[in-house]
Amino acid sequence: MNQKAYNPFDTAKAQFDKVAEMLELDNGTRALLRNTMKEYHFNIPVRMDDGTVTVFRGFRVVHNDARGPAKGGIRFHPQETIDTVRALSMWMTWKCAVVDIPLGGAKGGVICDPHHLSSREQEQICRGWMRQLSRDVGPLQDVPAPDVMTNSQHMLWMLDEYETLRNGRYPGVITGKPVGMGGSLGRTEATGYGVMYTVREALKEMNIRPEDTTASFQGFGNVSQYAIRLYQQMGGTAVAASCWDQNDQRSYTFRKSGGIDMEELMPITDKFGAIDRKKAEKLGYEILDGGEWITQDVDILVPAALENEINAETVTSIKDSVKIIAEGANGPTTIEADKVLHERGIFVIPDFLANAGGVTCSYFEQVQCNMNYYWEKDEVLGKLDTKMTAAFIAVSELAKQKNLYMRDAAYVIAIDRVAQACKNRGWA
Amino acid sequence: MSIKQSEMDDLLDSLQERAKELNCFYQLEEVLIRHDLELPELFRHIIAIIPPGWQHPNICQARIIYEDAAYEPAGFKTPVAVLSADITIQEEVKGRVEVSYTESVPAGKDGFFLKEEKRLISTIADRIAGTILYRQLSGGTGIAAEKQKEHPLRDDTEWAAIMDMLLKSDKNLFIHICRKMLHYLYWNGIEEADTLLKQFEVKTTKDELEDCNRPSRKRTMLHLIDLSKEVLKVAQESFDSDRILRNIQKWIQEDKSRFLIRAIDDPNASISEIIDAISRYHTIVQEGFEIAPAMEKGLRVSLIRRFFSDQLEFINIAKQYIDIHDYYYIIKDLIFSPRSHGSLGGKSAGLFLASQIVKKHASAHPVLRDIRTPKTWYITSDTMINFLHYNNLEQVIEQKYKDMDEIIIEYHNIIQIFKNSPFPPEILRRLSVLVDDIGEIPIIVRSSSLLEDRLGAAFSGKYKSLFLPNQGSREQRLDALTDAIAEIYASTFGPDPIEYRKEKGLIDFFEEMGVMIQEVVGKQVGDYFFPAFAGVAFSNNDFRWSPRIKREDGLLRMVPGLGTRAVDRLSDDYPVLVSPGCPELKVSITPDEVIRYSPKCIDVINLKTHTFETVEVPQLLREQGDSYPLISKIISAVKDNHVTGSLSSLNIDFSSDDLVVTFDGIITKTPLVKQIFTLLQLLKREYRTPVDIEFAHDGDHLYLLQCRPQSHSGDLSPTPIPRDIPADKMLFSAQRYVANGTVTNVTHIVYVDPEAYSRAANEDELKRVGRAVSRLNQLLPKRQFILMGPGRWGSRGDIKLGVSVTYSDISNTAALIEIAKKTGNFTPDLSFGTHFFQDLVESSIRYLPLYPDDEQIVFNEAFLLKSRNLLSELIPEFTDLEQTIRVIDVPGQTDGRVLNILMNADLDEAVALFAEPGRIYARTHEKMTSITDISAPDEFWKWRYHMAETIARHLDVERFGVQGCYLFGSTKNATAGPASDIDLLIHFRGTPQQEHDLVNWLEGWSLTLAEMNYLKTGYRTDGLLDVHIITDDDIRNKTSYAVKIGAVTDAAKALPLTRAEA
Repeated sequence: MNQKAYNPFDTAKAQFDKVAEMLELDNGTRALLRNTMKEYHFNIPVRMDDGTVTVFRGFRVVHNDARGPAKGGIRFHPQETIDTVRALSMWMTWKCAVVDIPLGGAKGGVICDPHHLSSREQEQICRGWMRQLSRDVGPLQDVPAPDVMTNSQHMLWMLDEYETLRNGRYPGVITGKPVGMGGSLGRTEATGYGVMYTVREALKEMNIRPEDTTASFQGFGNVSQYAIRLYQQMGGTAVAASCWDQNDQRSYTFRKSGGIDMEELMPITDKFGAIDRKKAEKLGYEILDGGEWITQDVDILVPAALENEINAETVTSIKDSVKIIAEGANGPTTIEADKVLHERGIFVIPDFLANAGGVTCSYFEQVQCNMNYYWEKDEVLGKLDTKMTAAFIAVSELAKQKNLYMRDAAYVIAIDRVAQACKNRGWA
Repeated sequence: MSIKQSEMDDLLDSLQERAKELNCFYQLEEVLIRHDLELPELFRHIIAIIPPGWQHPNICQARIIYEDAAYEPAGFKTPVAVLSADITIQEEVKGRVEVSYTESVPAGKDGFFLKEEKRLISTIADRIAGTILYRQLSGGTGIAAEKQKEHPLRDDTEWAAIMDMLLKSDKNLFIHICRKMLHYLYWNGIEEADTLLKQFEVKTTKDELEDCNRPSRKRTMLHLIDLSKEVLKVAQESFDSDRILRNIQKWIQEDKSRFLIRAIDDPNASISEIIDAISRYHTIVQEGFEIAPAMEKGLRVSLIRRFFSDQLEFINIAKQYIDIHDYYYIIKDLIFSPRSHGSLGGKSAGLFLASQIVKKHASAHPVLRDIRTPKTWYITSDTMINFLHYNNLEQVIEQKYKDMDEIIIEYHNIIQIFKNSPFPPEILRRLSVLVDDIGEIPIIVRSSSLLEDRLGAAFSGKYKSLFLPNQGSREQRLDALTDAIAEIYASTFGPDPIEYRKEKGLIDFFEEMGVMIQEVVGKQVGDYFFPAFAGVAFSNNDFRWSPRIKREDGLLRMVPGLGTRAVDRLSDDYPVLVSPGCPELKVSITPDEVIRYSPKCIDVINLKTHTFETVEVPQLLREQGDSYPLISKIISAVKDNHVTGSLSSLNIDFSSDDLVVTFDGIITKTPLVKQIFTLLQLLKREYRTPVDIEFAHDGDHLYLLQCRPQSHSGDLSPTPIPRDIPADKMLFSAQRYVANGTVTNVTHIVYVDPEAYSRAANEDELKRVGRAVSRLNQLLPKRQFILMGPGRWGSRGDIKLGVSVTYSDISNTAALIEIAKKTGNFTPDLSFGTHFFQDLVESSIRYLPLYPDDEQIVFNEAFLLKSRNLLSELIPEFTDLEQTIRVIDVPGQTDGRVLNILMNADLDEAVALFAEPGRIYARTHEKMTSITDISAPDEFWKWRYHMAETIARHLDVERFGVQGCYLFGSTKNATAGPASDIDLLIHFRGTPQQEHDLVNWLEGWSLTLAEMNYLKTGYRTDGLLDVHIITDDDIRNKTSYAVKIGAVTDAAKALPLTRAEA
């Protein structure tokens, strides 16, 4: 294949190299962290519904587990490549490190398309995957989780296979389970609340009272909805939120300058966070074009749905009033736009810090499972606050001290923590 | 009514009664000879035989009093009118036979009972007495003596007893049977028969026995009886008694059905006459009467023609499944005007046939046992004409010949006029009885036109179906019903069906409209009425979401509530799709997909407001979840992104749980999918063509609502694939996983080059490709561009192998094409559109996978890569992607041509080719015939017709000894499709050598035409001509296909021949 072709693992390594240079890491550490610790490639034979046998290819890649048991999702993807899995496992290492949870990074998957598989066949794949790896995953070794095209059902099949093989109950071997089956409360709120905890800390540092601020949100899904709720509890005024309209095949921004009211919007919002335009209009909302969320005269922007929403084109319409951008979505800002934000001095809370509430809650699920004691929601959210706040402060302090852009500071802190752990263990 | 008519009626009545009597006799005789029965048992048999022989069998009862004991049926009621006859044995009254009515009946001129009945009862009493005596004397020689006294023929065989009774009760039949016997003797070479036959001939020429009134025959009767007795004597001498008895029995039986044949085969008989005959038939059948198999088949065919359809394909199937007595149940629910000659129409025919097929096969397929059809009433098709005449609206029939513009404008007026026109009083009377019968149960009034749901032209959705809540006072309900029927009548003159008929070459067909009134399947839930779920199913799955699904696995579209939402494709909601042969492979896999593509709304009938409503599912569940039938199997609960399907009504909280419609429980825990799959396979096998069905489930039972040959609405029909397209006129061809359809008039191609895409430097660039496609989707003309790209459209996560788009980014394309191009020795998997499969289905966006590396596949990469790229002009901000995305203006690059994609799932082939706008493909053989473009739908028959005429013109009649050449079948009827053959009938009068030469000559034509047809349509046949050679004998004897010449219906058409000058 063409050398020039895009390879996600190359991109991930390049990003690491850049930060490694800043941290002046020694060659041994670089060599260790540039590559994955261990990889498993294996066959999963499955007896199909029609009686034939199909062999699926499974993977598990542990990038680094110096800081604790590895953690990462299992993807079902028809054209999975090992380099994608490698890149994703590396990102998991940094992500866990930035919020300072004691976990390493891993990723796994099976080459398959569940769209062409029956439920029973998918179950066989899950069980087959676990049979191959039961000695190498575990609550204290490596903890899988749902990812692209896998969900709680797949996790439960895998859990069951593991527990059968190990002759015991080990709910901590896997996360992403439903509540009551070893899942954690607070999962729905975690990401949205996490975003807002970091915003709160950012405002604190800027000496701005939340009550005096306004914010605009892109998207009205889970993340936005809980971010808005917490923001309003903090006293802030959310003036606008955008969302996708399936019927019209376009997005709209819903604006109410006095502040949008979650109690009146939720009943007219579907499961995908689409607000009923006509009903909203009756409730007195201004209906603007979907792109208008970014042009609002507000203090805070929260892109919380799509990638690349803030790009070279849209970045110019960001008003001078905007002081903070909290990246609730993954990769909402393009490289070009990021430069502009940096130059304009807008405080950006980078995605893998701002939306780390999700992975933190997974960690909590693991913790609760391992002690077989489950917390109330308040306790989960309280601990989440503590973790997110601490993580934010660490990154922000570093950025201030070393005069780094927030995004770079987050990477620096994450990679440094992992490098230190390796060093301390005598690995490098 | 004229006097003649009333005489006729009387005669008919008395004939009817005669048949009953005879049957009664015959059965009596059968019982009396059973020596194994004790007297009390014998009596019990007799009292069961008697009532059907009387005029009012339903309220008739019989009993026998013998030696102070009464033998009567269970539930014997106090009689209102009694007729009795004594049982006298050796001049001593030992008891009596009593026949009585339990309710009062109108008295005739002879009192409550007919003269014949009085005679009948005394005969019965005599026969009983005779039998008892016989038994008392049994063993002694006295029996023979006793017998001889009774029987003039002095014979102790059973047949003699029967003939004796016939002589007493029905002299005509006696003579008729004797004549038959005479013929039988003659055929068997008995000499005496010859002389007797001559005497019979002479005496009967003037008085044709069959058609004459009884009194005028009196003169010759005695003589005939004597002759007949002679015949019997000869028979007795010639054959053994068993043989005689068998024949007599057979002829008596045959005679019984004569009335039925006469009524049914008479083209002038009205529906009421046929109904009378059927009722009579039903009565005698219940009494154990059997009709000769050949005759029965003939009657079945005649009845199918009268009531259902004269389409031969239909008759062929229906004659195996619809018995004569089945009509007895239809006629009970039939509404018609007194002189009606109409039929029930296509939709009724289809449903009735399907339900019969299901019934007959239920023993072999236990899952079919529980399938029902809703209670249905029919209005005959000519009632519409009656309605038009009654209101002087005849001129509306000519509507179809007007310009489409006029038709559209005037249609609204027609609806109003129809709705304001009264129904003829006799129809109104029957409808008002019907309204009482139904009560306040919602009904659906459906069109059932003669053309609808036929094999070949399904008319799907062209005419109306109207739901009626059917609530309120009797007058209100009747008003609503007549309103609905009028609206259905008006729909015959709507622009849609007229257009469709023009397309199918059916415009000159005199369209009558039958109406079907059905109870809506469902239950009342709160104020609403609806079925638990309903849907449609197809034998062929033309929307496969996985290569593992075979076309024959079928397709099921299900929705909660009324099936309206499954029948139509919806823009804002989704039915649940299942492939019945492969139910494990679901369309929606992730919880996100399951939720997004679940039905959100439900159609119901609101019994309170008397309206048809669409309600949101969550709202309905909150209000009425607990009383919704089967609900725990219809919905799944979503919690923490986990979809749970195994629910029980005990663990659902309708007020707070997050519930979505998935039909998970229905699919996995009930036999529904198996029922539907078995049904589809069975009906497909019996119809000999794929079918589509509509169904509904009320929570207890599955109901079949409609069955017809699988229709291909508009753009979804299999398109002929021309073979003679030069490669430079083609863009690509495909031979794997092809669905049906045509995409025409494509002006722009958006081509994402697989190689350039795989070379993209980083993820951002790949994502920009998706964004560029999204922009183009907004800019290019809707449904006039196609998207062609590598691997999997809509990839998420690893987007290297497919452009990352959501449905909204591609929503305006006409077709989505995935290219599986080999890289190294690896061919990538395709998505089959799974990421937004249901969106594609609901918006009719065609999906097509291309495998350019396959053998014999055209993939015109040069055109795609070398044509001018408009990308930078359309979206300058994406100019950097010029190497990857190519936007091609097709007319600009091809001298004004457009791109058409022809897809044919039957052949599993597709082609994309350039053609002048408005044409399906470019002409290449301008001079072949005057009609070349046989790819257009109505050109199939025209071309065949033209070729048939050409053959006839070139046929050298002298050389081949040909007398005439006729055309019949689909070409003559203008229904030929791309795979049809041409049915020719050659009237031949020559030598075997000539016949040999003729066959050879025609074989040449046949092969040539087959090749031409293949080049134009892609349908391969061994020969296109189906030639039937008939001789003078055939014509004279009306054997073989000769019946087609001069036939009353569907006659063969003579083709002009070129004859040498005389």
